[in-house]
Amino acid sequence: MSAFHNRSQTSARRSDYVWQYEYYDDEEPVSFEGLKAHRYSIVIGFWVGLAVFVIFMFFVLTLLTKTGAPHQENPDSAEKRHRPGSCLVDIDGPQDENDKAFSRPLLSESRSYFHFYINEEDRGQRKLKPEEKTAVKQQESFNRPRGIRSSGMGEMEEDVEEAGRHQPLNGLIEENKAERENDLFSHFNIPNFVNLEQSSNLGEEDLLYEPSVILERQAHSQDTHCDIH
Amino acid sequence: MTPFSLAMNVSTVNQSDCPDVTVPFPIFFAIGVVSLAENLLVVVAVIRNRNLHSPMYCFICSLAAFNTIASLTKTCENLMIVLAENGHLQKKGSSETKLDDVIDSLLCMSFVGSIFSFMAIAVDRYITIFHALQYHNIMTMQRAGVILAVIWTTCGVWAVLMVQFFASKFIMICFVAFFFISLAFICFLYAYMFMLARSHAREIAALPSSKGRKFRRQWWRGSMRGALTLTILFGVFVVCWAPFFLHLTIIMVCPLNPYCECYRSLFQLHVVLMMSHALIDPAIYAFRSNELRHTFRKMLLCSEWRQCS
Repeated sequence: MSAFHNRSQTSARRSDYVWQYEYYDDEEPVSFEGLKAHRYSIVIGFWVGLAVFVIFMFFVLTLLTKTGAPHQENPDSAEKRHRPGSCLVDIDGPQDENDKAFSRPLLSESRSYFHFYINEEDRGQRKLKPEEKTAVKQQESFNRPRGIRSSGMGEMEEDVEEAGRHQPLNGLIEENKAERENDLFSHFNIPNFVNLEQSSNLGEEDLLYEPSVILERQAHSQDTHCDIH
Repeated sequence: MTPFSLAMNVSTVNQSDCPDVTVPFPIFFAIGVVSLAENLLVVVAVIRNRNLHSPMYCFICSLAAFNTIASLTKTCENLMIVLAENGHLQKKGSSETKLDDVIDSLLCMSFVGSIFSFMAIAVDRYITIFHALQYHNIMTMQRAGVILAVIWTTCGVWAVLMVQFFASKFIMICFVAFFFISLAFICFLYAYMFMLARSHAREIAALPSSKGRKFRRQWWRGSMRGALTLTILFGVFVVCWAPFFLHLTIIMVCPLNPYCECYRSLFQLHVVLMMSHALIDPAIYAFRSNELRHTFRKMLLCSEWRQCS
């Protein structure tokens, strides 16, 4: 403000500046006569509006959470759904010859909950069923190089740390801790257990491997082995 | 931006029914010192730990650096105000005016820079989620460095321009418009990320498994946590920054209205809110990373870096 006072003296000679703070001088006092509403009505209105906005945003987010909840399964659909589940395990079978080094560690971690939602791969596979897409996405997640694991949504890391591995929304990032991943694999009873360190060493090489090739092979194996719906 | 030095001339404001609310200097000092310590800790931790040399942590470090500059500058300004009111400094001397200009430029730069850093962090998270496979190709360290250089240069230039031409309404309109545009942009990015993550999590929870019910419960709990986190992130940003920008808008729109003057009388509270945002930022962004927390513990508890394994 002192700068303004200084400048307003020097710039009074230069008429091109308009100083908004001149009303702070004593020339024009603001009249408080005849106010209809409370003096602080703008202040109160602003803070009430801000609080409503934040609460509204929270309710919208939680409403999205509730409406997006997966539906209860009835026994018939549960049976049908079991086949894609077994397909996820069977996929390990036919792919020994060409891509042991790449796809096996990926497939064995196909049930890991630490993955990224990959939008652009989704575009390329509209024809796949939801279960296949999920399986492919889980595979794709381990094409990412190792360095990514420490980047991502920081707040999700916190949730991952506290609540453990079964937080689907927070499975966006992880720290590479051996004991947690061991727990994960033992929980899922994956038949071909491959040590995570081994697979993560292949992380860099996986970049060279075209994701689309994996998708094709995935779709092919799905067709040969499973009747899906 | 000389509104920050408005506090120096509280006594010359006309007495009205809405007296200016003054915040005692110890509160300013306390907030300034604590936020300075926190953000400096984040900057030093990111620089010292080689594991944290990735684009995401670079952006968090840049945010912490801007907050450090803001806290330091504001603390210096408070010191100047205290000295001036005790008569040690001339309020209208030329060197004090120049120092005041420098302080205002730095404050403006740090505020604009922290908004840019928020946008950079949001874009980085967006790329991490939606282009995860190409993340390492899209966001290399060189590109992150270039982005940070552009941000810092833009902020420096804009700050100098703003302080020189603060009288021009166009500049102020630009400033307020920039704030609202970045707010909308960040809101959109995070909402999009949240929705896509939610739908993906729904697919996961719908997987056939004997643990399906358990997954659904955990999915719901995880989504709730995500919603709460996003609300905190965005809510704190809006609550801390919006009052000051409404102040700027009101200055332009209704300088003589008594209602507006009552809002303007709370100016120091709004500045305290902006400073406390620099205090809360590390808790929201930096301290949620396990690696950073680990580095802090090492730095604070171990006297020598090499003694700790």
